[in-house]
Amino acid sequence: MLEFQSASLSYGATVALDSIDLTIRSGEQVCLIGPSGAGKSSLLGLCNGRVPATSGKVVLNDQDLGELNGKALKGVRSRIAWVPQDLGLIPNLRVSQNVACGLAARKGFWGLMRSLLLMGKAEKERVSGLLKRVGIEEKIFSRVDHLSGGQRQRVAIARALYQEPQMILADEPVSAVDPERAKSLVELLTTIAREEKMTLVMSLHDVDLAQRYFDRVIGMRAGRVVLDGSPDDAGVKELYRLDE
Amino acid sequence: MRRRWFFLGAIALFFGGLWALEVRPGQLIPSEGGREAAADFLSAAFQPALDYEESDMRGGEVSFLGKIGKALWLTVRYAVVAMSLAFVIGVIGGVLGSRAWWSQPNLFLQVLRIGTRLLATAIRSVHELMWALLFLSAVGTSPLVAILAMAFPYGGTLAKVFSELLDESESSAGEVIRASGGSGFTAFFAGVVTKALPDLATYALYRLECAVRSSAVLGFVGIPTIGYEIKTAYEDGHYHEIWSYVYALLIVVVLFEAWGAKVRGLLTKGTPSRVGEEKGQSLSELWRGRGRSWFLRFSVATLAVGIAAGWMAEDRWGAGVGWEQRERNLDRFTDEMVPYPVREADGDWSVFGSWFSEKMSDGGAVALWRTFHVGTTAILLAGGLSLIGILFAARTLASSNPRGVRDGGGKIRGLLGMFLRGASMLARAMPEYILAFLLLRVFGPTYWVLIFALAIHNGGILLRLGAEVIDNTKSQASEVILAQGGNRSSAYLAAMMPAGFNRLVLFLFYRWESCIREATVLGMLGVASLGFLISDAKVAFFYDEMILWVGLGAALVFVGDLTSDFVRGKLRTFE
Repeated sequence: MLEFQSASLSYGATVALDSIDLTIRSGEQVCLIGPSGAGKSSLLGLCNGRVPATSGKVVLNDQDLGELNGKALKGVRSRIAWVPQDLGLIPNLRVSQNVACGLAARKGFWGLMRSLLLMGKAEKERVSGLLKRVGIEEKIFSRVDHLSGGQRQRVAIARALYQEPQMILADEPVSAVDPERAKSLVELLTTIAREEKMTLVMSLHDVDLAQRYFDRVIGMRAGRVVLDGSPDDAGVKELYRLDE
Repeated sequence: MRRRWFFLGAIALFFGGLWALEVRPGQLIPSEGGREAAADFLSAAFQPALDYEESDMRGGEVSFLGKIGKALWLTVRYAVVAMSLAFVIGVIGGVLGSRAWWSQPNLFLQVLRIGTRLLATAIRSVHELMWALLFLSAVGTSPLVAILAMAFPYGGTLAKVFSELLDESESSAGEVIRASGGSGFTAFFAGVVTKALPDLATYALYRLECAVRSSAVLGFVGIPTIGYEIKTAYEDGHYHEIWSYVYALLIVVVLFEAWGAKVRGLLTKGTPSRVGEEKGQSLSELWRGRGRSWFLRFSVATLAVGIAAGWMAEDRWGAGVGWEQRERNLDRFTDEMVPYPVREADGDWSVFGSWFSEKMSDGGAVALWRTFHVGTTAILLAGGLSLIGILFAARTLASSNPRGVRDGGGKIRGLLGMFLRGASMLARAMPEYILAFLLLRVFGPTYWVLIFALAIHNGGILLRLGAEVIDNTKSQASEVILAQGGNRSSAYLAAMMPAGFNRLVLFLFYRWESCIREATVLGMLGVASLGFLISDAKVAFFYDEMILWVGLGAALVFVGDLTSDFVRGKLRTFE
């Protein structure tokens, strides 16, 4: 369970998040919506302790993320996958090598180097299985810069899954693809998250997708939570107004 | 408006430079005796020697072609070995000069980064020929001198560029690894270095091509590379042999460039898979069919073997003079590099100022001023000529369908474009120093020679880069001009050149910095500028003066380097 207890975040005089109180239960599928600059990315940054709260607390499974340092923080992070907006892939490496980066924390430096340079048969099979799940198993040995935009997003999802995370954080991962492709990717990610009982927190701009695929929708504006409920409860009009 | 001022400034600087150097068109006509020698020298270019010109040498132990082969082998070997050392310096300096590996910025890391970058810039400001002179004066002749003379400036250059590439490569890939619990070290190597690897390798390969040219030039100060054979052949009056060496060098440099271009392409673009990559294929089938290049593997293996062989082939790296003599040389050099009046005054540095002023007014200031103008005038000439040449060399303009608009004609233009691209390749392949050496035989000792040598080499580079910029610049305006019946020149001048202007100026400044660097040594061929003072001081064993002129040249290059960096940074922000 992830709890925000009056968590705020400021960059100098700019307030990115203003006293957020939220609880995200394990296995929940949460969508953050709101206009650009509303604080969605900042909230995701607090979820895995990438950015420390300037005041208040962010508590994950009874552990205050602000109190954690070094190995303990790395240990927590190793179970939280992050898919940034630009996907964070290494374009000149093969798909299998990019997916292997998902286990960077547990493998350590030398372990990861071994995977990148001489990946064993068992690991290849594991990666292949994950790629099959996201629908691009035939691309396992292709360079990432030879793939289409949609295929790259699936690689980023496979890398996140390889981490065997308890929670996936995805920051507008479908902002650069057409609506049809965006729909299939959100569907894929939410389906896998449900099957694996993983918590999924994703920020999106598309209200239709948020309503259709998520358990809970959190609306944000100017660093505050202005709406929190089930997609049906929220009311379409109100959600659309948030995006104006 | 900005462009107009730029052109006016460039024209003023160009003619101002010619005035400052006191050059006149009449200096291009050799004297009566000079004309004859120049004619002999040029006619020999059409009949390169295949055997020794001296009949006594024929039938000896080593054939003439064997001698060329040995000189080429030494040229390439020294270049490869020096680059392997420079690469290590570059990697260490590149990492220390980058901020991509920092977890948290702090004052120590900031100081380390800036200090490393300044050190790298300072090291590369001293030309390899000057490093060679310093090492030769300090410890005497040995193959190691050639290696260190190249490894230092090339290492500095690699460190500077590597640190920039690593900083530019900083991306969310490393951030993802860190956010998922990976260490900063893992994130740096897996997320940043792997991403930058093609660019790092590409640049290192480009510098290897440059190192082959530099290695040849080191022959002019006594290192036994092909430059040494060219110089000796000239001193013996064997003009036909000179051209054989020059052509052999050109072939090797062009081959290196072609190989480098192929490897760079493979590294950057990768190799597509050799199978259809269809669903249902087994893992082993996909693995066997994965994209891989045997050429790339062969090249990497050859390079590795080449480096190892290059180091091992020399069992007397310190050969030349004995260690005792070396120690004596070094003692003498370190004693005498201290300015003469300071030595006389028992180490009192307060007398340095008056000595420095005396040396500057004795010719140092004029030499510095002229060196600056040689480099600047040459790059402006190269830039102006390449701007005209681009109109014919750019493939999208030379084609019969310029910018995709059907035209029908353009066969002669296509041939002219091909000729220009070939000429630019040869101009690039020829080191400026050797070019100046050859031109001196034709025109005699005049600043024109230095300007032409720099302009020809850099013009070749700018023509290639400029044509690529124009070919890659999207300009619908040019298509409209052509579709409405305008000619290629109108489309180029009115639409394409303005669209690619910033990048063209960016390249001009990048080469200007390099021209200033080369200008500091070209005077060693006998034309009064900084290089001339350096070789003069070396011959007279005035090490204090030699160090002063080398330092002054390095300061000029250092300032040029920083100015060029600043202007290029500004130009990038305009893009």
